[in-house]
Amino acid sequence: MDIKQIILLSVLYYWASSTALSLGVGYYTMYRPVIAGCLTGLVLGEPFTGMMAGAVVNIIYIDFVSTGGSLEGDQCLTAMIAALMAVLFGLSPVEASAAAYPFGFLGILIWKYRLNINSVFVKKYEKKFAEGMNPHIGIYDGLLPQLLLFIMSAAVILVTVFVTLLLRKFIINIKYVLFLAGIFLVFSSTWNILYKLQSKKGYLIFAMSLTTALLVNPSSYIIFLIVSAIILLLSNKKMKLILNSKDYETHGKNGKIRKRDLIYSWFVWMNFSHSCYSYERLQGMAFAHSMRNVFKRLYTGEEEIAGAIHRHSEIFNTEPNMGTPIHGYIISLEESKQKNKIADENTDDIMFIKKGMMGIAAGLGDSYTQVVLTPLFILMSVMLCFDNKFIMALVPVMILASVILIISYTGFMKGYYEGRNSLIERVNIVKNSRIKTYFPYIFSGILGVSLGKLLIIMFSGTSENLTIYITVGIISMVYTIVKIKRRN
Amino acid sequence: MKKIALIRVDDRLMHGQVVVSWIPYLKVDEVLIIDDEYATDEFMTLLIKSAAPDNIKVHILSCRQALEYLNKDDEGTRILILLRNIEYIKKLLESNVKLNKINLGNLGSNPERKKYYNSVYLSDSELSILREISRQCEIEIKMLPGDEGKALE
Repeated sequence: MDIKQIILLSVLYYWASSTALSLGVGYYTMYRPVIAGCLTGLVLGEPFTGMMAGAVVNIIYIDFVSTGGSLEGDQCLTAMIAALMAVLFGLSPVEASAAAYPFGFLGILIWKYRLNINSVFVKKYEKKFAEGMNPHIGIYDGLLPQLLLFIMSAAVILVTVFVTLLLRKFIINIKYVLFLAGIFLVFSSTWNILYKLQSKKGYLIFAMSLTTALLVNPSSYIIFLIVSAIILLLSNKKMKLILNSKDYETHGKNGKIRKRDLIYSWFVWMNFSHSCYSYERLQGMAFAHSMRNVFKRLYTGEEEIAGAIHRHSEIFNTEPNMGTPIHGYIISLEESKQKNKIADENTDDIMFIKKGMMGIAAGLGDSYTQVVLTPLFILMSVMLCFDNKFIMALVPVMILASVILIISYTGFMKGYYEGRNSLIERVNIVKNSRIKTYFPYIFSGILGVSLGKLLIIMFSGTSENLTIYITVGIISMVYTIVKIKRRN
Repeated sequence: MKKIALIRVDDRLMHGQVVVSWIPYLKVDEVLIIDDEYATDEFMTLLIKSAAPDNIKVHILSCRQALEYLNKDDEGTRILILLRNIEYIKKLLESNVKLNKINLGNLGSNPERKKYYNSVYLSDSELSILREISRQCEIEIKMLPGDEGKALE
């Protein structure tokens, strides 16, 4: 490895785990093991080897949901290290995933540390504001936290890469143990997610698709097409409504706010929603940041602008894509507040509405974008990888990213033009979504096929007999059940 | 008297962590939101009720209404109480509502509040109320069911 590659990997890890500066979709693309593995492989000259390792890590992390930033291990770092070991040490994807697994816990430290350290920037911003300096929110929400995060990410990459290379001999020596540990991790993740889905039909579909995959090994390409067709069929008219953006007039309701102001505000939000994420304000600084250009349009005095932005820097937290009607609606309220010359002291109701709406949108959003859409599309990508259709495997991820963008953009516009009822409409659409209803079945089916394909790869790669797989399978099942029972 | 599975104090009331993690974990069938402001706000009531999972009954009541409701006969349901205002817990205890555990989730910062632990910010008066309550029942700071909890000292 040379210095250029280490720098590139640092940038990749920073960019993927930061979720900033990627229009909000970095979290759904680069952060996911299958893509992070592919990009790491690309840096090292073997994108597909890396992607394969990433795909296995992705199975291990398939039940990953981040609600309010509570994570178990860092799947992105795990995937990057797994890809690195697969390329440099010639480990199989399963062995590499097991070897990289412990590193995930190092990555998670950054995330926890970040939630604390970002408060420093909040305090700095508050101090400058109190001194009447009209601080630029972009510096405290964007520049400084991102700079620090880059330094931290680069340090983590430096340390992990160094440790990995140092352990090279040891890792290669314990290959067989890693192989067993790898199958164990894959199996227990599978049992765990199946148990979580709590669907008896799901178990059956899983068993059937696993058997089918093992016996006939159907082309993942055809399965991808079938699943896409099912998803399209299930997206009822109401779902299309969420995606359809009406062609709104270019001028706002009162004339001052233009459509391009809304687009820019949305753009800032998408790029920085978690940039200065802290225990103290969560996404509060980002909300204020996204209002900056709006207030610059509404007010002329420097102090007035800074004051209005500051009002919106208090604690805020929502699902960044599903929750955008809040932003749109708040902008329309601020616009009429300015027009009707309502004093700042009487803005309690704006804040009350904002806080009331954010929790709802978070609950609704997490249970849809993170729990349904993401696992569905990412798992399809993983399945395609296990069939060596690496280029095709990028397609589901791109579809996912587009859907996320459309959901967030249309919400923003609807919130502004149609008001708060657009959030209720959104609630009903998501709740009645048939994709959500049938998710356990579709997901179990793809999971069965993916696991089957992975097992076929493993059979062909080693001389091990079936007994070892069955033994590990049973042990992992007992382990998972005991773990779940103890937790409850 | 109704059976209460848990009381959670969280500024965001019914939000992602509650819907995705706490409700399935606690296996509750009823969520009671105690909040004087929300109880009179028609839009918020509609929004919260339409966002709740279908199999969960949601009530949004003022503190007074909630006391009446909780004193009704137990119909075998498990209730999760969500509130933002710590004083309500004191009122519940004063009316002899049985609470076994109080969970502190997210209490955001404001000028009166100081950081207590991670995402829990408390004002002096809130802290003294909580200390008083902690003599009667367990108070734990915990974001998600799987997290390690921290007891209030």
